[in-house]
Amino acid sequence: MKYHLQDRTFTLSLTIIGIVILFSAIYPALFPTFDNLRQVLLNLSIEAIVAVGMMLLMIGGDFDLSVGSVAAFAGGLCAWLMYFQHVNIISALLLGLLASLLIGFINGFFVAYISINPLIQTLAMMGIVRGLALMVSGSGIQGLPYWFNAIGQSNLMGLQMPVWYMIITVSVFSFLFSKTVFFRRYYYIGSNEKAALLSGIAVKKMRLYGFMLASLLAGAAGIILSSRLGAAMSTSGEGMELRVITGVILGGASLKGGTGKITGALLGIVFMGLVSNIMTIARISGYWQQIILGIILITAICIDLLLKKERDAAL
Amino acid sequence: MLLQLQHISKSFGGVNALQDVSLHFEAGEVHALCGENGAGKSTLMNILSGNQQPTLGKILMHHQPTIISSPMQAQVLGIATVHQEKSLAEGLSIAENIFAGRQPVNKWGLINYTLLNKRVTALLNRVQLFNLAPQTLVKKLSSAQHQMVEIAKALSSNPRLLILDEPTSVVTEKETELLFTIIQKLKEQNVAIIYISHRLREIFSISDKVSVLKDGRYQGTKITAETNTNELIKMMVGRNIKELPLNQSRQDSTALKVEKLCGHGFHNISFSINKGEIVGFSGLVGAGRTEIAKAIFGAAKVYSGTIFMNGKQVIIKNIRNAIKLGIGYISEDRKTQGAFLEMNIAENIIVTKLTAANKNNLFNRSLMFAISETFKGKLNIATPNVKQILKLLSGGNQQKIVIAKWLLADTNILIADEPTQGVDVGARFEIYQILLQEAAKGKAILMISSELPELLQLCDVIHVIRNGHLVKSFSRENATEEKIIQAAAAD
Repeated sequence: MKYHLQDRTFTLSLTIIGIVILFSAIYPALFPTFDNLRQVLLNLSIEAIVAVGMMLLMIGGDFDLSVGSVAAFAGGLCAWLMYFQHVNIISALLLGLLASLLIGFINGFFVAYISINPLIQTLAMMGIVRGLALMVSGSGIQGLPYWFNAIGQSNLMGLQMPVWYMIITVSVFSFLFSKTVFFRRYYYIGSNEKAALLSGIAVKKMRLYGFMLASLLAGAAGIILSSRLGAAMSTSGEGMELRVITGVILGGASLKGGTGKITGALLGIVFMGLVSNIMTIARISGYWQQIILGIILITAICIDLLLKKERDAAL
Repeated sequence: MLLQLQHISKSFGGVNALQDVSLHFEAGEVHALCGENGAGKSTLMNILSGNQQPTLGKILMHHQPTIISSPMQAQVLGIATVHQEKSLAEGLSIAENIFAGRQPVNKWGLINYTLLNKRVTALLNRVQLFNLAPQTLVKKLSSAQHQMVEIAKALSSNPRLLILDEPTSVVTEKETELLFTIIQKLKEQNVAIIYISHRLREIFSISDKVSVLKDGRYQGTKITAETNTNELIKMMVGRNIKELPLNQSRQDSTALKVEKLCGHGFHNISFSINKGEIVGFSGLVGAGRTEIAKAIFGAAKVYSGTIFMNGKQVIIKNIRNAIKLGIGYISEDRKTQGAFLEMNIAENIIVTKLTAANKNNLFNRSLMFAISETFKGKLNIATPNVKQILKLLSGGNQQKIVIAKWLLADTNILIADEPTQGVDVGARFEIYQILLQEAAKGKAILMISSELPELLQLCDVIHVIRNGHLVKSFSRENATEEKIIQAAAAD
């Protein structure tokens, strides 16, 4: 039991189940309905996809503040290409993803090879890419092609497509992280970068790939978002980076790196989604929602540290 | 009597760094402290400077029992320390460093720079740095100037006891003379000085008394004028370790040959290792031993020179390249470079060969656990199971796991950099056995160690590295601790 209490995916799953049961009892008519839960999942699906990339980076000891901007830019670029340049949907999609990949490459290159601190690099990139997003989508682009909108607005088995994309992304990366040597290396890099290097892991290259993947996922999420809305907005994804990092830390990542699971990223985001849904149902103001989330984050980390201290004291 | 230590002991989780050490220091006296690495010198210094508390024993200052609870407290008591590691903030000026946090202020509570600079200039003059402005940034200083500023910083609190830890390790001979002049002046001002060094020549030219520590135990104090180099060396070394068989596995064919290798921190290094042979690198910390090893392992740049493996020239571009060619490197300093402390035993072992745990190209955790289980048995790692987090194991067991990852990689050449650092005696013996077994399998082993007895015990040949040069080589038959220490420390 002690061992399980230190596994965040386990404790967080329990907490989520507890919350669902508790609030199903308190708001039986509003909360536990299929429509409400479906909406919760839809609302969090975009950020969950971004969170997978963030978890990947944070396992390796890095993080990326530019993901929100990248999401806005990738969606905006796709829209701009289709609406103003009359590029076909497939090419627009590919170019949007390619642009995100390129941004990730630049971030990763400067962080891993030039040794710029990831905070500084991605903070700068956050501003740069937000500027680019404003350039391509201006005050917003509406009237996107039908098939483009279909990407994010269709349904499958009662769930909207973004939810399916989220499920696919989480499953694929979860599988990759537990089952491939390539992704396991991130745990070593995050745990002790120097030792990883001296054990024969190509640390720089891996960090570069990490930033590229995180950026690619953020770009994909941004494209899905503008498809779902049927419009591209330069302001979309604002503040997303911090919400995603909060969720990922709740899900078991640490800023030092080396810990966390991909499913933890999903659970962290689901937890936050549920909390804000419940607060909306309970008619708590939006201001309070932010305050409460902040308090929850600090509490979760404190509990974690206490458990760890107990473990180390038992030495 | 200024300061007296009575029966001081200090242990770290079962390891005794100091055992029953009693010493006393007089005002106006230079008291040298010497001993090998790990003899307990730095622990003693940490206790005197308030960084650590003794587990047992008493400290008397002017015959009054005293507790040095913190570095601040030490300063109040008049104890100042110049540490071996650089302790100045590189981006700040000399003045800000010397009076860090206690700059003189004017009546508004703002820093009084005129007074600050005046005081700093006076201090700099005291350490013979006449041409340096107090505003100079510390990062612009040469390492000797840096050292002098450290001393000026220590003097700024007008200490009654000044501790100098290896003060000459980064300075030239001329600057050493200067340092001695400063020490002489302080002595005249009735300051007590503890001078830690393993350069015996310096000890003889500056100290009044010399005390020796060995394995955390006090070996005795001599009046410097009444002793000699040989006597001190005997006191510093001369211990037995458990009997091990000598390495009998040396074969005739060369596994690794290095010719005129130059790189950062070493020059013109040539040596070779045969299959089944154990070659040792001795020398002081910072002499360039690790740098050479890292260059061979592809972890540091090589400026010139050639490396041959099994008679063929190889170019080692990076670490992965080196591993592929068959070179493994058990790094020094387990905590920062060797171990993944928050990860479990199995993950720590598998790291050099993650693909070994692949089944149908997919990573298989049970296979990983099975593989590490075999090492647990082979290396006698004391743990209930291999899912244990490394942090929770003893230093000896952690070190065996760091070694195990290189046994898994199964490289033909194995470089062991201080493989017994921070390891208890029992585990040490087991690590020696592991190295001998690997040699018996025909592996070529390069062992870097600051512990002479283990080098003498294990190695077929010992090379002495000093200031980045390979200065002397001894075969097992004619190597002695005295000869090696002399070669390593000669100025």
